[in-house]
Amino acid sequence: MKAKKLIPILLAVPLVVALAQSYFSPSELEAIKTGGKTYADVFLNQRPDQALCSIHRNRLPGDLLPKFLEEQRALIKYPQSGKLMGDWKKGGAIFNNLQKANCFSCHFGSPVHLGGDVGPSLEKYGLKRGQSEAVQRYTYEVIYNSWAYFPCTVMYRFGAQGLLTPEEIADVVAYLLDPESDFNTKPAVGSK
Amino acid sequence: MRSKAWWVVGVALLLASALAQGSPDPREEAKRQKELLLQTAGILPTELVVQQGEELFNRKGPSGKTMAECDFGLGKGVLEGAAARLPRYFLDTGRVEDLDGRILTCMTRVQGFKPSEVRRSEVVAVAFYIASKSTGHKIQVRLLFPQERELYALGEKLFYARSGPRDVGCATCHVTYVGKRAGVLPYADVLGKDKSWTHWPAYRYSNDQIWTMQDRIRACYGNIGHPQPALYSLPILALELFMAYQNNGAVVEEWPAFVR
Repeated sequence: MKAKKLIPILLAVPLVVALAQSYFSPSELEAIKTGGKTYADVFLNQRPDQALCSIHRNRLPGDLLPKFLEEQRALIKYPQSGKLMGDWKKGGAIFNNLQKANCFSCHFGSPVHLGGDVGPSLEKYGLKRGQSEAVQRYTYEVIYNSWAYFPCTVMYRFGAQGLLTPEEIADVVAYLLDPESDFNTKPAVGSK
Repeated sequence: MRSKAWWVVGVALLLASALAQGSPDPREEAKRQKELLLQTAGILPTELVVQQGEELFNRKGPSGKTMAECDFGLGKGVLEGAAARLPRYFLDTGRVEDLDGRILTCMTRVQGFKPSEVRRSEVVAVAFYIASKSTGHKIQVRLLFPQERELYALGEKLFYARSGPRDVGCATCHVTYVGKRAGVLPYADVLGKDKSWTHWPAYRYSNDQIWTMQDRIRACYGNIGHPQPALYSLPILALELFMAYQNNGAVVEEWPAFVR
């Protein structure tokens, strides 16, 4: 009786393991452990969505996209106040800090640092787009979880990975959108 | 010798800071810096490190043996072209080893140093010396032994992995964003036309660093906020074997290289 009950469970175990799709095999993880604990932990704790992007080399097959996007959307949380635009001055300090959000390294448009060109230019972001609720929401959500819009993109998932709080993300949204923000009033470093 | 080295480094830094503005192609810029340094100082930092490495190579260890008693892949004491064929599997250790690792093996197993006595700066200097004997040689790395094939497969996986709180990975920039810029330098096409495997070991004049590929890989991880693999560890070796194999056939322009 007991053994009979166990059979479906035993059958289900390998199935669940297969569904989780780990990227590295157990023997590969053993080799990675020689890199030291802090290095190895990152791979031992690789998230299923990271594994999926690794397996497909950042190009997810179309049939996986709907579920992937839905799961990424579900990770997005909003500030308790409900306000998606916070303090642009605080946002500027986050945007222009290499250790914090490091936005300027990839995006052009900062009046403080010369921007890179890995990501699209954000020059005068707010002046071009206005401050409608839709623009605020889109900007907030892309920063919170870029993979909800661009699966497997290089951009950090600031909110979903806990790199920034919802309030900090709202501050960055304000830095980009507020017409009074230095980002929109001062020229970008390197602008012609 | 030591004071001369510092003087050269000082000149290098002055030149680097004076010429840092408006640099176009980093490789052309490095060539220009190298010429200027050679004209003013008469010797390059790379040459000084190679000399130091040669002295260490010929130094006797506790066992009374020099490094000429070691096999770097082409037979005892044969250095010509040896580094261009690393990493590779060695029958005597039963392991795949790169230049750094093989030097470590030589110093401990043949020369009789205790692992704790081996200084990293000495390993790097010897690596510079041995690598200098492969200038003009073609990269010829093979996947013959199962250990080599396993490490290659791991290196390829690590190269394409997304991991850590920033979801980073080598290929995400060095394949997808080749030529684009995040920070000062454009991303190199490390698997393709830039043949990055042939750029290390090198002297990096912008930061006055004397690095092998092991140091370079660790810095890559560090720069993007990812924990770094330990020196001489398998993940570093795996990435090296993968990159070296991808650059097979590329001619080593100059080892040690002189880079930005």
